Amino acid sequence: MPSTSFLTDISINHYLILSAILFSIGMAGVLLRRNIIVLFMSIELMLNAVNISFVTFSHYFDKVDGQVMVFFVMTIAAAEAAVGLALAVSIFKRFKEVNIRFFEHLKG
Amino acid sequence: MSHQMLIAILLLSPLVGFILNGVRFRSSNYLLAGSIATGAVAVSFACAIALFMQLVGLPPEQRRLTVSFFEWISVGSFKVNAGFVVDQISAIMILIITGVGSLIHLFSIGYMHHDKGVTKYFAYLNFFLFNMLILVLGDSLLTMFVGWEGVGLCSYLLIGFWFNDSAKAAAGMKAFITNRIGDAAFIIGMFILFMTFGTLNMHELNGLAPTIMESSWLGAVTLGTLMLFIGATGKSAQIPLYVWLPDAMAGPTPVSALIHAATMVTAGVYMIVRLNPLFVVAPNTMMVIAIVGAATAVLAATIGLTQTDIKKVLAYSTVSQLGYMFLAVGVGAFGAGMFHLMTHAFFKALMFLGSGSVIHAMHEEQDIRKMGGLKKYLPITHFTFVLGWLAIIGMPPFAGFFSKDEILWFAYSSPRGHILLWIAGAIGATLTAFYMTRLMALTFWGSSRVDKSVHPHESPLVMTIPLMVLGLLSVIGGWVGIPHVISEFVGHIPNFWEHWLEPLITKLPEASQVAHSATEEWALMGVSVSLASISALAAFIMYTKKAGAADKVANAFGPVYKLVDNKYYVDEAYFGVIINPLVSASRDLWHYVDVNVIDKATYKITDLVRGGGSFVRSLQNGNMQQYAMYVVLGVVIALSYMLVG
Amino acid sequence: MTADVFIFWFLAILTIVSALSVVLMTNPIYSALSLAMTMVSVAAIFVTLQAYFLAGVQLIVYAGAVMVLFVMVLMLFDLKNELQAFSRGKFTGAIKVGAVGILAGLIVGAVGSFIMAGKSGAPVTPEASTSADATKALSEHLFFNHVFGFEALGVLLLVIAVGTVALSRSKGGTHAKH
Repeated sequence: MPSTSFLTDISINHYLILSAILFSIGMAGVLLRRNIIVLFMSIELMLNAVNISFVTFSHYFDKVDGQVMVFFVMTIAAAEAAVGLALAVSIFKRFKEVNIRFFEHLKG
Repeated sequence: MSHQMLIAILLLSPLVGFILNGVRFRSSNYLLAGSIATGAVAVSFACAIALFMQLVGLPPEQRRLTVSFFEWISVGSFKVNAGFVVDQISAIMILIITGVGSLIHLFSIGYMHHDKGVTKYFAYLNFFLFNMLILVLGDSLLTMFVGWEGVGLCSYLLIGFWFNDSAKAAAGMKAFITNRIGDAAFIIGMFILFMTFGTLNMHELNGLAPTIMESSWLGAVTLGTLMLFIGATGKSAQIPLYVWLPDAMAGPTPVSALIHAATMVTAGVYMIVRLNPLFVVAPNTMMVIAIVGAATAVLAATIGLTQTDIKKVLAYSTVSQLGYMFLAVGVGAFGAGMFHLMTHAFFKALMFLGSGSVIHAMHEEQDIRKMGGLKKYLPITHFTFVLGWLAIIGMPPFAGFFSKDEILWFAYSSPRGHILLWIAGAIGATLTAFYMTRLMALTFWGSSRVDKSVHPHESPLVMTIPLMVLGLLSVIGGWVGIPHVISEFVGHIPNFWEHWLEPLITKLPEASQVAHSATEEWALMGVSVSLASISALAAFIMYTKKAGAADKVANAFGPVYKLVDNKYYVDEAYFGVIINPLVSASRDLWHYVDVNVIDKATYKITDLVRGGGSFVRSLQNGNMQQYAMYVVLGVVIALSYMLVG
Repeated sequence: MTADVFIFWFLAILTIVSALSVVLMTNPIYSALSLAMTMVSVAAIFVTLQAYFLAGVQLIVYAGAVMVLFVMVLMLFDLKNELQAFSRGKFTGAIKVGAVGILAGLIVGAVGSFIMAGKSGAPVTPEASTSADATKALSEHLFFNHVFGFEALGVLLLVIAVGTVALSRSKGGTHAKH
């Protein structure tokens, strides 16, 4: 019976589908939220989803490269969060605003 | 000096003059501008003499100095060099151009000294000479065409020199556009010749000319030469394109003398003489040329009878004399055509400059009805003008007599001549004598009709010296080509002219059916001279002794006089038949086709682009989340394609 | 139902619920806390996949450093409950939600069609390795094979640090002051 085997046999698919769902949730946040900080958080969610995929592949195919990539992604994510938040702070200091729609006026 | 060097200096000297005057064209220092320009032309004249001397020193068969400065065009097998050639024909031309040209430059210093644009004027004049020299020296039709266009441009610039007067500017445009029609035909002629012979080099073309007569109207040589002749009718003011030349008198008078009498307008005759081996094998073309020439000679002479503007009379006279030249080359008398070209350059330049002197004296008055009795105020001008008058009406032994008589003789005796051509020529000569005498009588003789406010005065020396030199040439210029019968009569004077041109002139292949005797030649000569004398006498009496006689004659001829007085309504006819329909058709095209079709189409396209642009711009609204949405949509599309497809 | 299966389902549900609450909470502080929860459960998922070292890094870097950053900035801004947490525009909002949903479906479908058809029938059972072995393998791989990338990351972080300081020192805005 497929339904029970789906529930009981945890395979690579389960992890990948989890990753896909997490990624989609993060993307929905990016698309729908207006607070720039929450936006950054959603991006972190998406990055984490990708990390799960990497680690899954690394585990199931027994290759360490996936984990190395996760290492890099984490570093980039941290850097991105730092710069993004610094920008947000900088903008907030000047305009007292965190709404993403407000940034349309910065297009020049 | 080598001949290459001489040709280079000959050509470049006017160009340098043009540049020197051209860069400081705002200056009104007439003495400096005039000295530069006249000096430049004088240098050219010296080179021309030196080249002529070198040519004389060579044996007759080798009289051909060529130089090729660089390869101008090289496309596949089509090659044109910036090559120039001095041979018997072009040597005469450069002597006339630079010789008469320097005299006219000298005259201009006096004539133009009060004009603000004097430096520009001299720059144009020098540039004209440069182009004219290219025209006559170019060794290929294409090089010639460069000069041909260049002189057309300069002619336009100088006719419209006083462009603030819209009538004068319009005259310049008329000249330019009329010439353009001829030039188009000239280009077509070049195409045809190139297609047939594969070269545009005139020496090679002459060598390649077929030996068999082309009797068909549609033969390549006939068509090509006919097209070239149409080009010549534009430049040399023949029927049907002569209408620009009388209007060209709007330019300064020395310009009329140089461009519209002595040099540029003779370019067509020169071109035909240069290519005479080609024209000889196309008898149909020759016939057309002879008929057009004779018709122009008579038609222009009749118009000249009624003109009241001193320069217009001379202009129609020029058209008429050019008709004589074409008559000459049309019957195969190329030497006679060149001969008349030279003598005409002398006496017509003289008369134009003389008229310039008169106009100068009369404070820009050109109407001969308001002159009269100027003889006592302008003795030198009058005296030299008389020399020109005698030359043009063909009184022996003045220059015009020999050349005109030779043309008339050939019109009758040449295998391609005809008695009708001679009659036309004789009528033209008679009319010429009449209207030139009328001009003399109304301007210089009889009682004064000068306005009280005008005080005529003789022109300064700088203007009268060229008159005197040209007057001398008008007397003796014809002596280089004394006809056979006369030289037999007075003792053996050789005909230099014929001997000089002989190597380059193709003999007509047909033998004359009738042997013409010396008696015939004497008789024709006598007839034409006496006709001219009688009509000159009649004009003299009509316009000096019997006041009112002229009006009576005019009234007697009523409608005919009106027709002639209005120049046969040729301008009106051109306007009615060609120009106005063209203009209204263009306007209709503009109003209906251009506005409704072309403009609309372009507007629709711009609307489309603008609409597309504003749509794309609305996507680019700065909303980051929308951008992200597009990315997601793109990924969705790509992924579904991968999964489904 | 073994413990592994139970742990997976527990962690998966925890992750998805906390991720959903990150997106759906209108108060940014709650979002941040939910994010911390997500990070921790992702770290736990790493552990189930035997990536012990990465699980540690995940906890330290994400749940530690990055979260502190977020929370600190939120405190700095002193943000209250948002009146308009989500974008306006029902139409685009619908498109966005729909697009995301279709994307999720597509990815799941892709996973199903590509992987299930292939290897998934026989679940791979990786050989059990100790935490130390796995970490050693990772570090060897990192420092032998990817040392250039590692160094480049170091330079990147330096640049980021300098840039961030420069940004925070600026008064904001790129236009001339009046």
